[in-house]
Amino acid sequence: MTILEIKDLMVFYENAIAINNVHLACRRGEVTGVFGANSAGKSTLMYTISGIILDVKKKEKMRGGERITVLGSILYESKDIMAVEASERARMGIVLCPERRRIFQESTVLENLKIGGILAKREQGKKTMEYVFNLFPHLRNLKKREGGFLSGGEQQMLAIGRALMAQPKLLLLDEPLLGLSPLMEEILAVAVKNINSQTGITTLISEQYARPILPIIHYGYVLENGSAVLEGTSEELTDNPDVKSAYFGL
Amino acid sequence: MVAKTRRKKRLERSIKVRCEGLYALSSWSEIAYLMAPRVLLILGLLVIPFYVDMYWQRVLCSAGIYALLALSFDFLAAYVGLVCLGGALFIGIGGYIAGLLNHYFHLSPFVTIPIATIVGAAISTLVLIPCLRLRGIYFAIVSFMLPLFAVYIIIALNVFGGTEGISALDTFPSISLELYLILAAVLAALFAIRRLVNEDMGIILRGVKDNDQAVRASGISITAYKIRAVFMAALLGCFGGAYLGHLYGWLGISLFAMDFSILPIAATVMGGMGSLVGPVLGAFILTPMSEALRGFGQLRVVLYCLILIAFMVYKPEGIMNILQRKYHQFEKWEEV
Repeated sequence: MTILEIKDLMVFYENAIAINNVHLACRRGEVTGVFGANSAGKSTLMYTISGIILDVKKKEKMRGGERITVLGSILYESKDIMAVEASERARMGIVLCPERRRIFQESTVLENLKIGGILAKREQGKKTMEYVFNLFPHLRNLKKREGGFLSGGEQQMLAIGRALMAQPKLLLLDEPLLGLSPLMEEILAVAVKNINSQTGITTLISEQYARPILPIIHYGYVLENGSAVLEGTSEELTDNPDVKSAYFGL
Repeated sequence: MVAKTRRKKRLERSIKVRCEGLYALSSWSEIAYLMAPRVLLILGLLVIPFYVDMYWQRVLCSAGIYALLALSFDFLAAYVGLVCLGGALFIGIGGYIAGLLNHYFHLSPFVTIPIATIVGAAISTLVLIPCLRLRGIYFAIVSFMLPLFAVYIIIALNVFGGTEGISALDTFPSISLELYLILAAVLAALFAIRRLVNEDMGIILRGVKDNDQAVRASGISITAYKIRAVFMAALLGCFGGAYLGHLYGWLGISLFAMDFSILPIAATVMGGMGSLVGPVLGAFILTPMSEALRGFGQLRVVLYCLILIAFMVYKPEGIMNILQRKYHQFEKWEEV
């Protein structure tokens, strides 16, 4: 049932511990949420699962900068993928939609989607692109617009679309609601829910601001200073007094 | 699974942590710890000339010039964010001013060198001011073209000796004076710039490199600071040029040669970008090495390039940054 299982994961940036003994599982076809404040380790977790951290580690090592240590194991479809490179992981179906969107600024919307779809077969790519435009009808009018000229919300739609084009089996969304208006948050939360219910793609979503996301997840984890302090289903988390005070301000 | 449950922990030596910026020393051994690398460098530079013959002393002189250029390149690139390939411009302008003053007005080298240094730096800065608003590769290209520009002006107008150059300039009275003049200049420049980059001005310059809009938003004119930084870098280069003119008693368009722009970059990469000492060290390794490889004839350049490429690919942080880390930190295994 679980597509991704993380065991005893520890990540150090030099001597600072970013992720401390985290256990986490994503069940196939469900939306799993990871909540936490700044510096809780959400982004590091995403980088570790997607394998980007291996690349960062190599670059830091060449530069003589921080030494990054990653310990523990990540099981994806029961295979340990700890040493697999990010590009290979994407091919296996783990696709990251990075924090702050990182879309290709000088390419148009259409080009951005095409770049995302390089792994996909021609037919599949066409189908997915149609799906993305149905999911975000707003993007359809902006096909020829350069990525850098899109608004924050449009960029986020594009980033999610681009990730979908890579035919993910496990979609990692790192802070998809960062810096967006409440209206836009609502649209994107609905889109994430739809992606999951319509295509069945397993989704792991990390967010600081839990209010719009909590209702759409099946299971969630709360990270604090690198440790998973709480976990539970959407209802359990919503009813938890600590979560209420920390994330809803009640 | 032993390797999986422990990791190497890297710690700064406590004295290094305490002394960041403020020196709080409590024993002779701590003073020695801080002084040792500096004393080693100074003594090393001053003592080596005693152990080599005249030919290699001359090589050290030109290594000193490259060290000054490398220092000015590193200062501009790592602390101001201007990748300046204008080493040849500085050398050429400094060399021509000193040489012409000596040739036409018969001033002694001890007068022409200071004049050429200051006036030359002022002229170089004026020439570079229009391109200061450029960034990255554009500034590099413009500063790289300016020496070529100067060469063709001299050839086309046939001024300042034209393609022939002017020979029989005054040289220095003795080789030891030559040698110690340039070594003293290198050391003085090195310690002055090291001090400068940690003062308020250095902080602003680094700010300009990181995010010039934020600096502007703080009410600081970035152009004014860039001009000052370029002037200081040009001072080093023009001193080197004026010195070079008198070292060989000759001036000509080869003072604008590309070597003066390229070799300092190689020295900086090898020595360690941003460490200031590194580029100096790099210049004192690369110049003699290129001389020592002369025995290989034409293969010299190939070997030289191979060594450089190997450094860039395998140790891009440079010698000095590695040494500094090894000196200031220690490692131990830690169970997790």
